[in-house]
Parts: sequence; structure tokens; C-alpha cells
Amino acid sequence: MTDQTTDLTVADIEQRIGEFLQAKTRLTWEPEVDLFASGAVSSLFAMELVVFVESTFGVAVEGADLAMDKFRTVRSMSSLVTRLRTGGDGA
Amino acid sequence: MLDALTALVTETVADAAGEWDVAGEIPIDVLRGLGAKGVLCAEANPTFGGLGLSGAANGELAAHTGALCSSLRSVMTSQGMAAWTIQRFGDKAQRTEYIGRLTGGELAAVAFSEPGAGSDLAAMATEIRGDGDEIVVDGTKTWITVAAYADWILVFGRHERGAAVAVVPTSAPGVRVTRVAEPLGCRAGGHATVELDEVRLPAANLLAVAGQPALMLTTIALTYGRLSVAWGCVGILRACLAAVARHAATREQFGKPLLQHQLVARHLAELYAAERTATFACEQASRSWDAGSPEQVPASVLAKHVAAGNAARGAASAMQVLASAGAAGGHVVERAYRDAKLMEIIEGSNEICQLILAEHAASAAG
Repeated sequence: MTDQTTDLTVADIEQRIGEFLQAKTRLTWEPEVDLFASGAVSSLFAMELVVFVESTFGVAVEGADLAMDKFRTVRSMSSLVTRLRTGGDGA
Repeated sequence: MLDALTALVTETVADAAGEWDVAGEIPIDVLRGLGAKGVLCAEANPTFGGLGLSGAANGELAAHTGALCSSLRSVMTSQGMAAWTIQRFGDKAQRTEYIGRLTGGELAAVAFSEPGAGSDLAAMATEIRGDGDEIVVDGTKTWITVAAYADWILVFGRHERGAAVAVVPTSAPGVRVTRVAEPLGCRAGGHATVELDEVRLPAANLLAVAGQPALMLTTIALTYGRLSVAWGCVGILRACLAAVARHAATREQFGKPLLQHQLVARHLAELYAAERTATFACEQASRSWDAGSPEQVPASVLAKHVAAGNAARGAASAMQVLASAGAAGGHVVERAYRDAKLMEIIEGSNEICQLILAEHAASAAG
């Protein structure tokens, strides 16, 4: 799975995240909208998002990156993914 | 590898499970011996001395162990959940140190519940506060599995504007561990009350992921625990199924084996169905877990809910069929009857699982 994601752009990443969110919530999410403030996601959803991001983009979310703020919006998730895929160590 | 591990557990437990249950204690050398072979947290990464078992294989190991002795299985759940919690929330140094200790024979408990926070874990009052290059842990944890055996306890508590996890050695000044007297089930599981009176520890004992919402941290840790308990319930069902099938085929009343009495045959059929459906739910959840699918979260709750309910009902009907033959203290069915009831309460009660599943079903339906 990770082989196919080697050349993903930010737009590609955000599209995949958006598709996952839409499938899960039946809602369309603008890049900067706060998922958790909306009340549209369940209490289990933060962990589902972490697992989704790790398995879809072939990254390990660890240490200080395992934080609600990194998963709060489509944009914050794509920033995290981009940084982790380019080898940045935020933790 | 799974076959070797199940054989090791079988050989270690031998015929002692009833005795351990009645005594309320598993000999500490038995636990340390299994721990040092990596069996108690068999999914742990080989980098840290673990056996690197898949979730599915580790589940079968939990079921095998649970069929023999739910107390030992509950130790396995606790140790595995501790390793998983450190894997998820620790930094590299903490993983190397603590998972290495868990695969080296040390024993760990994981402490969530409190006098005022059972199902409502977000209401935890235990406090973990920073103080220079130290942390201070203060509060009371109740019904902590394995705490009576543990070398250290992963304590969940309030921290800054969220929650965090501290590694608290039971030998630290200010820690008092008091066994729960004669618990209903898993009587040799080492359940205890843990009082933490201003326990002062190095800041390195705070796991790296700190200050996040309590519900997020507990959900992540409990997903492992729920899956493990679910597989343990499959084990309870398998033990009951075997006992009932054997007894119903050999015991005669009214001139024929019990199995030829239709009301008894129905018990066996329902027990078989209960074991199979619980197994399927667990297998599905473990596949999601091993595949890294987000479905693992609701699937683990579903597996736990199905397996615990099936085990409680299945053990009650097994008790009914065995009757006096299974009612002596320490008998496999008598233990199952008590142990299974506890499984409907821990790691998310029936009702908490139902609330989570209802929320999940509602959001999936849009």
C-alpha cells in the first residue's frame, strides 16, 4: 500500500483523508473544519483516525504527534502525514 | 510458534487451575517464568525482546489460556495491555526499557478505575503533576487486575489539561497495594486497591504522550484489553462446551444419556452456537487489528460484547447441565460461571459496550 503513495501531493493526501471521513460520517469536510468540535464523530473516532493515517500513508504516529490537535482537521492531518513521510521527527 | 506457546501454557497450568482459584493466588514463580519467556505479552515487538506474535495468534493463545485458567488469562491481558500502552504512548527509550522488562520476567498492571470513575473514566481524579524534573502521582485506583503481583503499574491520571500515564513501581514510597478479598471471579488474578499518596518519581516515568484527552488515551489502551478479554471469553466457552459434551454423553438419567434428553441437548446446541459466534467476532476483530484497519476499534467492542455475553450465558447453562458434578469449588465449570460474570463488567461493561455500539451504528447509518 505504501508503494503507491510515494509521490502523493498534499492535495492527494487531503483527498484520501476526505474520502475516509465522508465514508465514516456521510459529511463533506472542508480542510480547516474542526472534526471534534462538530460533535459529528464518535468517541472511538480519534483512534480510528490514527490507525487510518498510519495504515494508509505508511507512517508511524508516535510521541508528541499522537495528539488530538494533529487530527483535528483535514489540513492538520495532511501536514502531519507530509512531515512524517519526508522523515521529519516531530516527536 | 503458537503451538509451542499453547503447549507451554498447558504444561505450566497442568491441573493446578482449581487449586490457584481456591487459594486466590498463582505462585509468583509461575508468572515470572511465563513472563520471562515472553508468553504473557506475546505480541510485543522482537526489537524489545518480544515474540512478535500476530494479534490473531495472540488471541488464540489467550483463548487457550482462558479455557484452562481465567486468572492466568487476566494476567496475560494486563501484561499485554501494558506492553501495548507503552508501545503506543512511550518514546523510544521508554519502549526499550519497559517492554524489555515485561519480556524479562517483570509483571505489570494497568490502572484505570477509581472509586468515583468506573464506566465514566473521564471522571478520573488521580492526579499526575509535574514538579521540576520529577512527577507526583496522587490518587486511589480500585479493582486493578494483577496489582498484587506487579513490579510496576501504569497509572492513568489527570495531567495538565488532559490525561497521561505514569509508570509507578509498587516499591516506590507512598504506594500501598491491598488485595481485594475473595473476588467473585478470576480469583487468582491479583486484583487490588492501589493507593498513591504523593508518589514522587523521575519525570522519565511519565509516558511521552501526555496531556491528551482521557477518552482518547483510555480508548487506545482498552482496545487491546477488550480484544484480549473477548478471546479469553472464547476460552471460557470452549472449556464449558467440552465439559458439557463429555458429561451429557456419559451421565445417564431416566435410563438414557443426558444428551438424549432434548432439553439438555438444547443447552449443548446453544453453547456450541455461543462458542462459534464469539470466535467469529474475535477472528474478525483480530484480522482488522492485524491489517491496521480502523474497523478494529468498533470490531473490538463488538467482539468483547458478544463474547462476554455468550460466556456468561454459556457458563450458566453449562452449570445447569453439570449440576452437582460441576458445583464443587475450583471445578472448571464452577470457575467459568463466576469468571464469566466478571467479564460482563470489566473492560467496558455490557452497557458501556452497548452505548459505544449504538453510537457507532447511528453514525454509520448517517
